Amino acid sequence: MATFTLGEVSIEVDEDGFMLEPEEWNEDIAKALATTEAVDILTEEHWKLVHYLRDYYLKFGIAPMIRKLCKETGFPLKKVYELFPSGPAKGACKVAGLAKPTGCV
Amino acid sequence: MSNQDIKVKDISRKTDQLFTLDTKELPKLPYPYEDWEEPPIGDISETKQAKYETNLDGIMNVQVPIPKTDAEKEQLVAKFLVGLRKLLSKDSNWTFLQPLMLSLDNCVKCNTCSDACPIFEASGRAEIYRPLFRSDILRRLVNKYIRPGGKLTAKFTGADIDLNWETISRLAQLAYRCTLCRRCAQTCPMGCDNGLLSREIRKLFSQEMGIAPSELHEDGTIKQLTTGSSTGITPLALADLMEFTEEDGEERTGMPCKIPFDKSGADILLIHNAGEFLSWPENIQAFAVIFEAAGLSWTLSSDFVGYDSVNYGLFYDDTQYARVTLKHAETARKLGVKKVVLGECGHAHKAAMAIGDRIWLGEANIPRESCMVTLEDIVLNGKIKVDPERNYFPVTVHDPCNITRSMGIIEPQRRVLRKICPQFREMTPHGVHNYCCGGGSGFAIMQSNNFPSWRSMVSGRKKMAQILNAFTREELDPKVNKYVCAPCSNCKGQIRDLFNYYDIWERCHIQYSGLVELIVNCMTDAKEGFIDWEEFH
Repeated sequence: MATFTLGEVSIEVDEDGFMLEPEEWNEDIAKALATTEAVDILTEEHWKLVHYLRDYYLKFGIAPMIRKLCKETGFPLKKVYELFPSGPAKGACKVAGLAKPTGCV
Repeated sequence: MSNQDIKVKDISRKTDQLFTLDTKELPKLPYPYEDWEEPPIGDISETKQAKYETNLDGIMNVQVPIPKTDAEKEQLVAKFLVGLRKLLSKDSNWTFLQPLMLSLDNCVKCNTCSDACPIFEASGRAEIYRPLFRSDILRRLVNKYIRPGGKLTAKFTGADIDLNWETISRLAQLAYRCTLCRRCAQTCPMGCDNGLLSREIRKLFSQEMGIAPSELHEDGTIKQLTTGSSTGITPLALADLMEFTEEDGEERTGMPCKIPFDKSGADILLIHNAGEFLSWPENIQAFAVIFEAAGLSWTLSSDFVGYDSVNYGLFYDDTQYARVTLKHAETARKLGVKKVVLGECGHAHKAAMAIGDRIWLGEANIPRESCMVTLEDIVLNGKIKVDPERNYFPVTVHDPCNITRSMGIIEPQRRVLRKICPQFREMTPHGVHNYCCGGGSGFAIMQSNNFPSWRSMVSGRKKMAQILNAFTREELDPKVNKYVCAPCSNCKGQIRDLFNYYDIWERCHIQYSGLVELIVNCMTDAKEGFIDWEEFH
């Protein structure tokens, strides 16, 4: 466990930088976390992905499968990697304030 | 200390870090990776180093908290001794007492096991990873501190060892430098099982001292027993995922892809590793398409825990193991199925089919079958129509240790592959002599700190070499698409990470997936191209 601080934002994160209290997430936190993922500015496309993940997480308590994410946002996987270079599970989920994926995924 | 100088008794040394792996000393990989240079394995963050032990090799998967005072250290050592006694007692060790005792008593130190161990070999023969190094620590501790007159005998035999915090904290980490692949046990002329010894050390630390990797415990069995799955998939999430999976499967194959749930009295209860639901939905789809086309009476369960065949307890803790397998047995009993079929997950096979014999008793003694056998019957007996020409590309198979070496299920999957893949070829060695993917015993899901680098460079190194050697130089050209059939979720996770680390798609165009995907890819009633070569790249 560690504290991640940037500007006004100060949150508890795990060793890989995922939020330990995902319910505290807000858009300022997303912007701050994005800097750790080599994403300086969150564009409209970034937000579309982030909000999709966030909504799914709030409803079901997990991240959606990648195939579903691509189909429902209309972004092919290549595009997701362009938006978040470390990928959907590590990058996009982290910025959307989801907990780290667990199990054989 | 330099590698060659490290002896078993050094485990008790009060030094910071016993050994540092020099990645320049790792054996070379075959073509086209002869010139591949491994970077140093990264360091652990300072915050982590201040909290957890790095006194073995500076690699971190299991996190052993550093005691704050000497008194605390002594308490922990005393606790360890209590656990060690329990490990050797009939009342406490209801699972593995006999093979444990045989393995402790019968070793003649011939070191045959060393040459069989992929981690020892691929590390450039690092002494601390020698299978005997680990088991001799345990053996000496038992002989000196548990057996009557042991302290006196230890002085004369030269097999002395000090029991202190350094010894036990390093031993805990050493138990997680072994994938429990049991290649050593297979080769031992005396029948000693070093893999089992690693597993029993893990058990002692988990059950007596509360020390286990979070991926296996908090985020593994605990999560499974509280949410329904180690992935966190609840019954509600499962329903949403399956609705999408069915639609997507029908679209991809042009065939019915109905995934039945909770059909009481069906012949077969199929249980998947829940990782497939999230990461490899094509595996779930392929099973559904094949089973429907073959006209089987089958069902999945949406019962809490009943939809996730994972049982990480197998790797580290008997109590957690029993809790999970009881839920699986209960699910099958309630549905009144004739048999349970385990999907493509190696450790789930062993947990339910082999070790499960201790738990699936009375009314819950329901036959359990490997999907390899079910699929063999379908494909070899013509229950579906296939056109092997659709699979006209080089294919090799990875043998999951739990399915092959531990359970002897070798030929069913091969008979399928020989029938449907004209360019099928074996790895060397294969079958019961296979090498572990390097992600065994839960390693594949340990994604934090510097462990993933160690897993790709060291524990997965033999497998990486085997995969490359399965193809000719001409075939390794990226113009030729090639396929590694890895019918196990855990192995797939490890092979995915290996392939990413070595950039294997760009360099060689090798893809991995399971067995059912290959079957659907050549079904004549299905749309062509179920295997999507570009999907993950």
